[in-house]
Parts: sequence; C-alpha cells; structure tokens
Amino acid sequence: MPTANIKSDTDIRLPLSFIVFGLMAFVVAQIIVFINSGSILQGHFRIPDIWSAAHLLLLGFAMIVAMGAMYQLVPVVFLTSIWRQKLGYLPLLFSCSGVVVFAGLLAFSPTNSIYGAIIVVIGISMFLIQMVFTLRQTEKKSIMYTFVFAALVMLFLTMAAGFLLAYSFATKDVAFHESIFYTHILFGVVGWFSLLIFGFSYKLVPMFSLSHGYSTHYAKYAITSYIIGLLFVSVSFWIQIAYVQSIGFLLLAIGFTLFTYNMKIIYQNRFKKKLDKPFIFSLIAIVLGNLIHIIAVLFALEGVQSAFHWGILLFSYIICWIIFSILGYLYKIVPFLWWTKKYADHIGKEKVPTLKEMINEKLAVVLFTVLTVSVLLLIGSMLAQMAVGVWLAQGIIMIVSTVYAVSIIVVLFK
Amino acid sequence: MEREVIEKSLYEVIDPELAINIVDLGLVYDIQIFESNDVLIVMTLTTPGCPMHDSIVNGVKNRLQKIDEMGEVTVELVWEPVWNPSHMSLEAKKQLFG
Repeated sequence: MPTANIKSDTDIRLPLSFIVFGLMAFVVAQIIVFINSGSILQGHFRIPDIWSAAHLLLLGFAMIVAMGAMYQLVPVVFLTSIWRQKLGYLPLLFSCSGVVVFAGLLAFSPTNSIYGAIIVVIGISMFLIQMVFTLRQTEKKSIMYTFVFAALVMLFLTMAAGFLLAYSFATKDVAFHESIFYTHILFGVVGWFSLLIFGFSYKLVPMFSLSHGYSTHYAKYAITSYIIGLLFVSVSFWIQIAYVQSIGFLLLAIGFTLFTYNMKIIYQNRFKKKLDKPFIFSLIAIVLGNLIHIIAVLFALEGVQSAFHWGILLFSYIICWIIFSILGYLYKIVPFLWWTKKYADHIGKEKVPTLKEMINEKLAVVLFTVLTVSVLLLIGSMLAQMAVGVWLAQGIIMIVSTVYAVSIIVVLFK
Repeated sequence: MEREVIEKSLYEVIDPELAINIVDLGLVYDIQIFESNDVLIVMTLTTPGCPMHDSIVNGVKNRLQKIDEMGEVTVELVWEPVWNPSHMSLEAKKQLFG
C-alpha cells in the first residue's frame, strides 16, 4: 500500500506577506487609474501615470500575489517542499520594494525607472531560481509541471524584455523599441499569467469542486497550441506579416478553448454541487478569457489596427481573466493560509471554524457582482466615449477593490 | 480499547474545507487496535497533496489522544485504493449535493 510522502511545511508568513503587499498595490493602482480616467477615455494608455498604475496592477498585485501563491501551491501541486524556503524572504524584499520604486519612478521620472527595474529584476530572478530548483525536485513530471515550467520561462522572457525597455528609456539606445514593448506585454500577460493559471487550475478546480474520474486529455493539445500561438504572435511583432499574427491569435484561441473545454469536463464531473461563490467567479473568468481570445482572432482577421481598441481588449483580458481569476482564488487561498496558522494545531482538540466560516461569502457575492457590472460599464463607456460612465465605473471599481482588500485582510483577524 | 469509541471520536474530526467529518467522507480505511492500546489509523485524503494534509492527520491524533487510556496513535496516510466519491456515506453525499 503506497503511503503518502508529502512535505507540506510551508512557512505561511511568506505567501501571506506577498499577498498583503499585492492587495495594497491593487488598491493604489485602482486609485491612480481613477484619477487618470480622462486620459484613458482619450486612448492615452502610454503616459507615465498609466505605466505606473499598470505595473502596480500587473507587477505589484498580480505578479506579487502569483509569487506568494506559488510558495503555497507548488508544494501542494508537485508534492515537494520549496527549495531553501527561507531564501524566499529575499525575493519578497527585492520584488516588493522594487515595485514601489519602479512604479514611483515610472510616474515621476520615467528615464530613471531603470533603477527600480533593476531591483525588481533581482527579486524576480531570485524567485525564478528558487522555483526552478524546487521544480527540479519533482519526481512526477505531470502536465501541470509543463504548464508551470512554461509559465516560468515566459516570466524570464518578460523580465528580459521589460529590462530592455527600461534600459531604452534610460539610454534611448535600443532599436526595435515597439517590438520589444509588445513582446513584453504578450509574454507577460498572455504567456506567464495565463499559463500559470492554466497549470494550477488543473489542480485547484478539481480540488475545490471535488471532481473525480475526469480526463485531462486536452491539456497537452491546449499547451502546445497556446505556446505555438505565443511564438507566432511574438514573431509577428518583429516581421510585421499580418497572417502570421492572425495564425498566432487563432492558435492562442484554440489553446484557450481546449483548456476551457477541459475545465468544463472537470466541472461536469464534480461531486460538490454547491460551489463556493468566489470560486465560481474564477470559473466565470475562464469563460471571459476565452471570449476575449476569440475577439482577438476577429480583430486580427479584420485587420483592426486601432491602438485604442486593442488597448481596451488587452485591458479586458487583464481585468476579466487574470485579475478576476486571482480575486476569486484569493478568497480560497487566504482563509486556508490563516486557518492553517491559527487553527491547524487545534483540530481534534476543540471546535474550530471551517474555511467557509472564515470568509463573508455574502459580501463576496455583492463585491464580485458589482465588480463585474462596473467593469462591463467601464469597457462600454470607453467604447462609447462616455466620460461620465468611465468616471463612474472606475470610481465604483476603486471602492469595490478597497472593500475587497479589506475583506481579505479581515480574515487575518479571525 | 473499544473500536466503537475510536470510530465515534473520528466522527468529530472535520475536514475544514468540506465541513464533513472524515468517516462520512470515507477517508478512514482501517482501524487497528493493539494490546498495548496503541492504535493505527489507515486513511487517505480526497486528493493527493491536499493542503489540509498535516491538519487532518494531526486532528486525528489530537482527538484520539483525548480518549482515556489511549496508547500511541499512528496515522498512516495511503493513496491506494484511491479515494473516490463512492466511499462517502449517504449523509456526506447529501451535504455535498446540497
């Protein structure tokens, strides 16, 4: 009878520290976007304040939270402990302080942003090294391993391209600035985040829905199509051939659709019929992400060149797929981390709360509903050039984001 | 040491994620009681790498240690036979199906 060999000795202060910082960055990013609503409406995405907000949202929130979540999820998914776990406080220190300096410099002195970028790069490099060494310890190389490893490769490439961008700001001496810029966004947003969420979803979706007897047959086709799609689209930024880009977006959409279909199979095989509401939100994010990929194919086929429309599509992808996924999963991850710290030693000795009792699910439903409606209002208002709508929607998003962050922090006092 | 007492105690160990006790979930595969009052619990989890691994195993130990004259409690976590929802009691299924 094979016995379990699990090393679940994660120091939960580490992932929690990343997550708490991420939540603060999330709120600050929303406030900056709110203040700059007018510029967004005019299609001015590439201005210092928006660079700062975008990096606070993607680096400060999504990236930092993803890093923190990996310190908890990698041992769970790959049944191995984090390699030299205590060293994880160094990436925490460098990445978080680097994000603050980087976002600040982007807003107030873009030409000096290279200095912030250097600190962030040091932090992320340390994280990458630690994760690669951790993954090397994995005995069974599953499809989840392939997704997460590919995501880490994408993160490395994103970081390299981002560093080149910051260098070009400082020296004005890097050719192909636009190509590097688009590659940076593609590999970061579509590559790193999506592949990481794909990989962990193959563990988290069945775990949270108690799904059994499902097939992951489509996973290998999903990742193959997605990675080739990423390569095609990135090449198109350098050689400017329209059909290469169209093929790339088509392959990305096929890959995402296969992933969605596989998640549907897992969902249909679930034994927990009443799913937790925040988790349902993460599942809805998959459908939205898939839809946006299909719209991107239509944009490419129709030859849409408008930076404004592509900007809105990218914004929708970041918010509706990446941010929504993370927001939903955080409502599961944070209560678990805190429960483990506070109650794990008390189970069996006295009555302890369930994980569901750690969160205010009713509030979560209100927050996620209002957030979805206001994001749709924001996108609609941007497309319709309705200043009041943009201002109102972003104002609501800012308030909801703040309440969301507080509702997560409150868990740490239970 | 009576098996019934042990079984009854295990009903009080709740999976914090599913809010269902580990017996109704069908996680307990075997209970062995030795003459020295030492007890071996052979059990599994709903999924390999379940993040509640340590908590649930410790919960079993903590609860059984509260029984009078209990000897050493050993929990052996196994992956075969693989847990599946058919192991659950009717009560657990009712709770999950809502």
